[in-house]
Amino acid sequence: MKNALRLITILALLIAALPTVTASQAQEDVTLVVWDINARDVENEVADTLAQEFEEAHPGVTVDRVAKSLDDLKATTGLALASDDGPDVVQVNQGLSDMGTFVKSGLLLDLTPYAEQYGWVEKLSPGIVARNSFTADGAVFGEGNLYGVPPLAEMVGVFYNRDLFNEMGLTIPTTFDEFEALLDTVVQQGMAPIVFGNLDGWPGIHTYSEIQNAYIDRTYLDDFVFGRSEVGFNTPENLQAAEKLVNWVDKGYFTEFFEGVGYDDSWGLFADGLGPMMITGSWLSGELANLGSADTFGFFLVPPAEAGQPKMSVGGTSLAYGIRASSGNADLAAEYIDWMMSARAAELWVAAGFIPVQPVDASLVEEGTLFGDLVNAWTWLNANDAVGHYIDWATPTFYNTITASLQELMAKEITPQEFVEKLDADYQEYLASK
Amino acid sequence: MMRRYFKGYEPGYHFWTAYLFILPALAIYGVFVFWPILQTVRYSLFEWNGLDTPQFVGFSNYVDLYHDEIFRVAFQNNLTFILFYTAFPIIIALFLTAILTRRKIFGLTFFRAGLFLPYVMSMVVVGVVWRWIYNPIFGPLNEFLEMVGLESWKRAWLGDFDLALPAVGVIGTWVQYGFCLVLFIAGVQRIEEELYDAAKIDGANEFRQLWHITLPALRSEIAVAMVTTLISALRVFDLVYVTTRGLPGNKTMVVSFHLYQNAFEQHKVGYAASIAVTLTSVILFISFLIIQWRKRVEENV
Repeated sequence: MKNALRLITILALLIAALPTVTASQAQEDVTLVVWDINARDVENEVADTLAQEFEEAHPGVTVDRVAKSLDDLKATTGLALASDDGPDVVQVNQGLSDMGTFVKSGLLLDLTPYAEQYGWVEKLSPGIVARNSFTADGAVFGEGNLYGVPPLAEMVGVFYNRDLFNEMGLTIPTTFDEFEALLDTVVQQGMAPIVFGNLDGWPGIHTYSEIQNAYIDRTYLDDFVFGRSEVGFNTPENLQAAEKLVNWVDKGYFTEFFEGVGYDDSWGLFADGLGPMMITGSWLSGELANLGSADTFGFFLVPPAEAGQPKMSVGGTSLAYGIRASSGNADLAAEYIDWMMSARAAELWVAAGFIPVQPVDASLVEEGTLFGDLVNAWTWLNANDAVGHYIDWATPTFYNTITASLQELMAKEITPQEFVEKLDADYQEYLASK
Repeated sequence: MMRRYFKGYEPGYHFWTAYLFILPALAIYGVFVFWPILQTVRYSLFEWNGLDTPQFVGFSNYVDLYHDEIFRVAFQNNLTFILFYTAFPIIIALFLTAILTRRKIFGLTFFRAGLFLPYVMSMVVVGVVWRWIYNPIFGPLNEFLEMVGLESWKRAWLGDFDLALPAVGVIGTWVQYGFCLVLFIAGVQRIEEELYDAAKIDGANEFRQLWHITLPALRSEIAVAMVTTLISALRVFDLVYVTTRGLPGNKTMVVSFHLYQNAFEQHKVGYAASIAVTLTSVILFISFLIIQWRKRVEENV
């Protein structure tokens, strides 16, 4: 009894002491160093506003924000995380080669306790939580602890030109067959339906994935990307998708000479009306909205085999906010991340034309605009756990292998069978080396 | 000889003073060149992702390199680049030298400056401009072909599996010949005019003059041009980085870009170091051969 009483007293004292500890911590002058990816004008403004409001709400705290380009961030993050005076909060690229390497080297803090405290997990669909998760030793991707929280969303789908759609009498397809029929209609009218440029290699990954997603399911894709259950790439579904892609090339669905056109040129040509559609990511929305008015272009997801099926679309998020393992301000850093995931942040991002990863209040979005289409598509994907992976994350070498092989496939240097075998060889080599 | 040189001086004294003068430069050279080279050689014996503790693996990186198919393709492409970086520019530059120095041309300085221009331009600018020229949809090359009725010759150029490598190579030729040209023009100005006069009296035509007078006299310039352009061909990176990134397939992959991908995209620093060491050794070896060849030719004169 006496012991219990003493225990309660100690606990009570401890609890009473807690707020004073945090309060006194906040009163000291603290500088929180943040590295983020919001280097372009509009993004930078949003991030600055949020950081400022954070400072106002936390007297004594100074946020030292450094905005970096993707290349710069990728090149410097590793060494910065290893240093004792590196950034407290930093946006990290998901996947094995960056986040995985840092987790393995013990450079990132496990965010699971904070995620529970702040309810971050409720804002993200399970697929997105998985791709920011690793086991503590960094060995297994897709499960275990949470190491990053991404603020913004992106997804791949079909941008379309509303004027050309009206002229040609096209309607938005609801099944994959309808989509192919639509492509045929455009070809019959003497135009290549899909504006495409694959000189840079990576746009082909998205095109292939959008077809592939019509044939595969979530379990397979998760297993494949996270290296589980001994799945491989040499499957009938992947082969079918490769055959379909070649078939699309033969039928003239893509821009002539697409193999020699760079990505930036290709979307410029799409904006100029070279063709009615382009399969690419939502990251173009800002540029396209600037070139036309808000409703010049629209967006829809590549439809499923049967109407209403939860077909995955390649998608993802911006780089994820993580915390340096050796940071002395971890709690404050977590508070900052929560600030970036707040409703206020979502509101500012929407106003600036970006899609927040968390569900967006419908009243903020105008229907019938490109941005409205994008937010609706994202909300649907997030709600149905249908955000598909970038398959090039599967192994550290997969990106290089698949860009080269897809070009070979589309130029008919290799057959669809050789294509899946080549990628499977890359994948098996990685599994064996794990 | 040496003894006489030092006679009358305290032996050794000047020796050390000389070193003192070299020291600052040597220190900088050591810290920024020698030390990194030694480090690279050392890293090539480790498996290392750039962050963790490196694992010593002996020569296994080199064994992997031997079996690396992309490395082999890349190396072959580098050898092909020698054609575009060394052979073509030297031939073109010799031809232009013959024209520009043996005839009085109005506005010669202007032409010389213009022809040298590609070499002075930043490789990134060159790459971006040529990417535009080669653009199959709105680039001037295909537009020109269409204009003159050669529509069937239109290609995807940089994206074409057969043409991508020569297409990038041509850019290299365009950049390198200006350098060779300036070297050769400077060399020709040293040749005494009497030699040509004598040849003319003997009835030698322009081609024979080029073959028997200009060419032998330019031996050292040609050797210099060969060494520099060969090194450029073997270590080409920027041009490929800007135009094709080794694509399509691996048709334009070169050794230094393969190195870059391993080091900075796949975090295989040890393996990338073994590529660097191999490439450096090859370049040193080939440079050595050319210098030997030049010495032998000069001794024969």
